[in-house]
Amino acid sequence: MHTTTVRSPRAFRPARKSFIRRNLPYLLIAPSVVMLLALIAYPLLFALRSSFYFWNLQIGPEPLQFVGFENYVQAFNAFDFRAALTNTLILSILGTTLEFTFGLAIALILLKALPGMNVVRALLILPTTIAPIVVGFLFRYLYDPGGGLLSWVLQSLWLPVPAEGILGSPSTALAAILFVDIWQWTPFFAIVLYASLLAVPDEILEAARLDRASAWTILMRIKLPLIKRTAIIIVMLRFMQIFNTFDTVLVLTRGGPGTSTRTLGYSLYEQGLVNFNIGIVSAMTWITVLIVNVIVALYVFFAFRNEEW
Amino acid sequence: MTIDIGNMSRRDLLKSASVAALVAGAGSLAIPRRGAAQDANTVRVLSVEDPFFFSMKALVPEYEKETGIKVELESLSYDALQSRLVSAFVAKTSDADVIVVDQMWLGQYLDNGWIISLNDFIAKDSEFDLSDFIPEVLYSSNMWRGQIGTLPVAAYAQGVMYRKDVFDELAIEAPPTKTSEDWTWTKYVDTLKSMEGKSFGGKPLFPTVVCGSQPSPIVHMFTQVSASHGANWFKSFPADPWDFSPQLTSPAWVKSVEVYRQLYKLSPPEAINYVWFDAGTRFAKGDIGMFYWWTPYFYLIKNSGYMTGKKSDVMDKYATAALPKAEGVPQTVSLGGWSLGIPSSSERQEAGYAFIKWATSKTTQKKMALWPDLNYQFSDFARVSLYEDEEVKALYPYLDVQYAMMKQGNGKVTRPPVPGYTAIESVLGLTLNQLLTGSEEPKTGLERANSLFESILKGNLMIPYQKASYADTLDGAKALIAKR
Repeated sequence: MHTTTVRSPRAFRPARKSFIRRNLPYLLIAPSVVMLLALIAYPLLFALRSSFYFWNLQIGPEPLQFVGFENYVQAFNAFDFRAALTNTLILSILGTTLEFTFGLAIALILLKALPGMNVVRALLILPTTIAPIVVGFLFRYLYDPGGGLLSWVLQSLWLPVPAEGILGSPSTALAAILFVDIWQWTPFFAIVLYASLLAVPDEILEAARLDRASAWTILMRIKLPLIKRTAIIIVMLRFMQIFNTFDTVLVLTRGGPGTSTRTLGYSLYEQGLVNFNIGIVSAMTWITVLIVNVIVALYVFFAFRNEEW
Repeated sequence: MTIDIGNMSRRDLLKSASVAALVAGAGSLAIPRRGAAQDANTVRVLSVEDPFFFSMKALVPEYEKETGIKVELESLSYDALQSRLVSAFVAKTSDADVIVVDQMWLGQYLDNGWIISLNDFIAKDSEFDLSDFIPEVLYSSNMWRGQIGTLPVAAYAQGVMYRKDVFDELAIEAPPTKTSEDWTWTKYVDTLKSMEGKSFGGKPLFPTVVCGSQPSPIVHMFTQVSASHGANWFKSFPADPWDFSPQLTSPAWVKSVEVYRQLYKLSPPEAINYVWFDAGTRFAKGDIGMFYWWTPYFYLIKNSGYMTGKKSDVMDKYATAALPKAEGVPQTVSLGGWSLGIPSSSERQEAGYAFIKWATSKTTQKKMALWPDLNYQFSDFARVSLYEDEEVKALYPYLDVQYAMMKQGNGKVTRPPVPGYTAIESVLGLTLNQLLTGSEEPKTGLERANSLFESILKGNLMIPYQKASYADTLDGAKALIAKR
């Protein structure tokens, strides 16, 4: 097919205009590209470079010497690394799984035309709008063994509460942090999954019901497959968010008792913003980036292996 | 219009990217720097939100009226302040003209050139009287390698607080207000044990309360016990030559952990998670017999909760006492607190010094003490004369005890402000926290911590120490102060 373009005589005159015209799409997306490079690529590459230097702001303002992989070795051998990695994986995997499950259950209930659902939907979004630090302080009081609501509820139900308090015992502290995350972020899953479920065509559901498919079959064979992509994406996002948890840990337990609630995010905070060891924290950042990316890549590979994009 | 995307070469793409980058760069240049845009009649003060901040803030309008200088006073939490300051220093931006500096940051800030030495300002200022400051405070919090880097705005020691009514009812002898050979940690623990299992006012009574949260709270409280027992962190510091080989396996450390463990056993179990103010507010609740802590708690426990201004149940029922000591070891008291310094990036260093001089002056500190809000909330004086002021003493009747503790203070021994301190504090805090709840022998835990200390200090190029040492002794500091 032949296309004829009519150009005004002026278009040929200044070379500068011609350059701008030819490159307009690139110029339009350039600010975004520059911002992306500045905000994502540059810090990561800067961290990569710093991870090979001895650079501790408490010792000196500039990097002192090239140390090769020494920072990575120190990060792996740190007294808290294994505990932090284990706790982080427990929190991320359990947190995402439970939040998804409860969120889906709530979303299915929201689909029912029950009275008061509008109010429930509005209230549901509230926990996600509160800053994690504030949530941390709120739960610090709720977990207080000297009259905190949650401690009282557990005791009223004859459930054992450790003498040191829920946050003071190594056997319950991590579960307490997990509970806070579930409380805050389950509504996020519920709202997103509810929106996705609303998009499932009624005809398909009606046809399934006519075929006497059970509610469980409809959920597993129709609803979940149809919202699969959304579900996979939000699970992935939440997994990455929980993997970096540090604020609630900082407020509730500061990683204790012992190392029972220490997470990689908290260790990163401590090395970076308390110890100011830029070399070690850069190495830890890259270790975290690699671990998260490997897990997410495996997850995406298995989740989408039969999908066409 | 035709857009010829397909023919765009790599060179063209690079050109476009360069133009975009240039535009972005020019845009950032057009943004005025905060320092450059600063009003000449303004002084920016960045503070931590500790108790002293509120009374200082209340007096700022008076300073503005007297001098015509506008004060932009901003407060942050401890962690946020340190992060903000270091970020500004590294980025070489002018973020403030006066900053609040913790004693643990002083060496780092001066060595890195992030704050200026106040030596020249003080030398040129004939009105300034350095001799009124308690030398132990200046030495612990403000001097590094012979330089005065900051001046104290709030100085803390540690001391004992106990319930007079509980002691009377249980017929327990009140602890002394002066350091004495009879008032030892053994006696302290025995006194607490005599309250074990008792009730008071129909409620169960806990003999004491400690801080168990890692890393800083537990280290702050534990190191008073270890300093009393003569435990040193390093082979040689602050005396020269500096040798940072860790000494955590010494008998003094083991004994100190044993004492602290006993104290935890006599505390509410949830104290394992207690930070600084948790211990104080717990005492103010009324179910604790006696505890020791930073001297600001001498007045903070008058409040129900932390700095609420509401009177606590124990407000008129407590008294203060001297810290116990270890048998046969000279007493060393932990000193801490907050000081004011001038960032080297400040363009208004003279104005900054004028503000520091005002905030740390006897007149202002007395006015801060007389500020009535929050149940009178400031007695953290670093000046000797204020401990002798009758008007102030009438409001804060414990000042003699506090001053006696200050005079036995040595912040450089209790928590050595060496470069990279926070990393080793993390290890010690974690180890202590584990030792409180676990069944591990103190010696085993301390050996592990010692080995981690060594690894961190070697990683930080502190072992062997390669820079010049400095004989940073209290006597040396006193001589320097006298010379000025």
